[in-house]
Amino acid sequence: MKYHILFGLLSAELGLLATLHLQSAPSAERLQSELADKRALVSKLGLTDLALWTEARYTRHPSQADRFAAFQDFPSSIEHFPAGSIIAPPEPLRMPVEAGSAPSRHRAP
Amino acid sequence: MSREMITLENVTRVYNQGRPNEVRPVDEVSLDIGHGEILVLKGPSGSGKTSLLALIGCMIRPTSGRILVAGRDVAKLPERFLTGVRRDTFGFVFQQLHLIPGISVLENVMLPLYPLEIGFTAAKRRALELIEQLGLAHRKGFKVEALSGGERQRVAIARALINAPQAILADEPTAHLDAGLSGELMQIFETLRGQGKTVVIATHDPLVHDSPLIDRVATMRDGRILDGDG
Amino acid sequence: MGSYHLGRHLKILEFALSSMLRRRTKNLGLVLVFAALVFLLSSIVFLTGALRTEALATLEASPQLLVQRAMAGRHALIPLDYGELIARLPGVGSVTPRYWGYYYDIYTGANYTLLGIGDQGLESPGSTPLRLVEGSFIMPGQRRVCLIGEGVARVRGTRIGGMVSLRDARGWMQEYEVIGLFASPSRLLTNDLILLPEADLKAHFGMPDDRATDLMVEVYNPHEVDNISRKILERLPDARPISHAEIQRTYETLFNWRGGLLLAMFLGAMAAFMILAWDKATGLSADERREIGILKAIGWETSDILELKLWEGAALALVAFLAGVTAGYAHVQRFGSELLMPVLEGWSTLFPAIDLAPQLDPYALGVLFSLTVVPYIVATVVPSWKAAITDPDRVMRAS
Repeated sequence: MKYHILFGLLSAELGLLATLHLQSAPSAERLQSELADKRALVSKLGLTDLALWTEARYTRHPSQADRFAAFQDFPSSIEHFPAGSIIAPPEPLRMPVEAGSAPSRHRAP
Repeated sequence: MSREMITLENVTRVYNQGRPNEVRPVDEVSLDIGHGEILVLKGPSGSGKTSLLALIGCMIRPTSGRILVAGRDVAKLPERFLTGVRRDTFGFVFQQLHLIPGISVLENVMLPLYPLEIGFTAAKRRALELIEQLGLAHRKGFKVEALSGGERQRVAIARALINAPQAILADEPTAHLDAGLSGELMQIFETLRGQGKTVVIATHDPLVHDSPLIDRVATMRDGRILDGDG
Repeated sequence: MGSYHLGRHLKILEFALSSMLRRRTKNLGLVLVFAALVFLLSSIVFLTGALRTEALATLEASPQLLVQRAMAGRHALIPLDYGELIARLPGVGSVTPRYWGYYYDIYTGANYTLLGIGDQGLESPGSTPLRLVEGSFIMPGQRRVCLIGEGVARVRGTRIGGMVSLRDARGWMQEYEVIGLFASPSRLLTNDLILLPEADLKAHFGMPDDRATDLMVEVYNPHEVDNISRKILERLPDARPISHAEIQRTYETLFNWRGGLLLAMFLGAMAAFMILAWDKATGLSADERREIGILKAIGWETSDILELKLWEGAALALVAFLAGVTAGYAHVQRFGSELLMPVLEGWSTLFPAIDLAPQLDPYALGVLFSLTVVPYIVATVVPSWKAAITDPDRVMRAS
């Protein structure tokens, strides 16, 4: 029966995915054990960001970016770097700071 | 009344009603078809044979008039019930056969059973029986396009019979057959009549309507049945 | 062939598969295109998911509160006086200046992040020695030495004992001896880092003595961080506090599946277009329409035909979806997302290899499923619906 072949194929795919997933458990464990070491490093050096994109300040340090660094042309425009197609503008750039703590960027609250 | 299997009362079918291109392929036709008879609808092409066959077989609804199948008026049934009546009562053999290429003879014959609540094994057994009866056992795994014209015709008949219908409706069944094969076909129809089935054949082939095996001929012209025949 | 009792659904599925096997080449092609699309999308989902988890976990230890200074809308060096003022606020522990900056290396075309570490950073009591450092760490009072990240070591072709020369603010070449490397497990954090003694860094960049890059503020009660930020802003209107929670939130949204959506939409639109164009060209052909007519004529109901098309679409889409997801998983897990790297790297000269365990996030997979499988099934069923509602007698007239 052809539908047995179909079900067999689907189960094989699921099985393969499950196997891959189970195999990643040891590496997840390893990452977990390295986590404490990484945190020690972060804490010692006072790091704030992942060293992924080095092409611009706000891609190297998204959490430290100027308030309109990502908006080179107009607010909410997608900036020119390819990384911009992968990452969204940092949250602090999109959310007005809580009322009273700082003047809002464009409008009065 | 209940003696008749199918009764048509003043059945008319109109296309494009009220427009300049209005046509009436079937016009005020009344016809009784009995159990276990072979009826031939004879007439030139365009005389409305195919439309009448479609009306008898519940493929289309009449614009006006009544169609009684086993005493039940089917003209006003909603589509789902109409489909039910159609597949319980009729088996069709189309002029172009309309077999599905690329799949086997067996699958083609089983096709009408797929949407029904019947087990695959039972469906297959029934199909194999019919294939055997029609002398196609050695061809059951073949794809239909590998078959000869006469063999294809028999596959189409097997498919029409798979629902164990009371009536077989055939539209120009000999159109693609030579004289010898046409004769064989008529033998098959006679066998079916022997099993108590009704056979309605639309044709303009003299080999069919002059055949001694048929019970009755109704001649059609311009959507009407000529007097003295109905 | 055993005694199967199949419901009508399984029989229709059976016919759907028979039917698909007849158009082997076309369907195989569709599976491949579909799987390739899912592969790309799921790779992105797995990769960004793993990156987010990694960022949130490791940056858990990042400073509670950072205070920067903004001048004319941009980050500017912050006077150390600010730190004294902040340190006097109730609830504030220590205030530590951070010295860091960027360096564009014309020889390799790469940007490095230079980070200074002060003596107090070296001698924090009770802290265990850093395990992710090969070689040695900077000793108090040590000068003209550096620790470098894996990426810097690679593009500079240098190792422990080698030298890194950098042009300083006056245009002079300064040489720093490499005494340690940040080990590769830390590369997501340290790939482009050059760690220098604080004094060297200040001299290198020519920073005024009374300024720092920004200030790390220790807050005793983590719940008070927002309050303290507000107080800092009241006293120092040109300051810009960045709380730990904000950093976490940044990474929470940065690698959120919507983040990849721009790319996803682009790829999706392209693939959808390809599938559609192809399907339009070869799709619900006269043949298929004729077959639907035949099925109608031999007693199939409209709903049976829709079910047939549903099975056809679902079988193809599910096989392709699972194949794509599995391949995407393997791609991220086994092959370091190699195919995504050209896109992901962007214009970064230094980009770390990413070796992370992907996660099967049901939410992300659900989104992926509804973005790919669902539209495909709809796209297969809807056109046949039009063909399926035609009168069954059509087929008697077709020649």
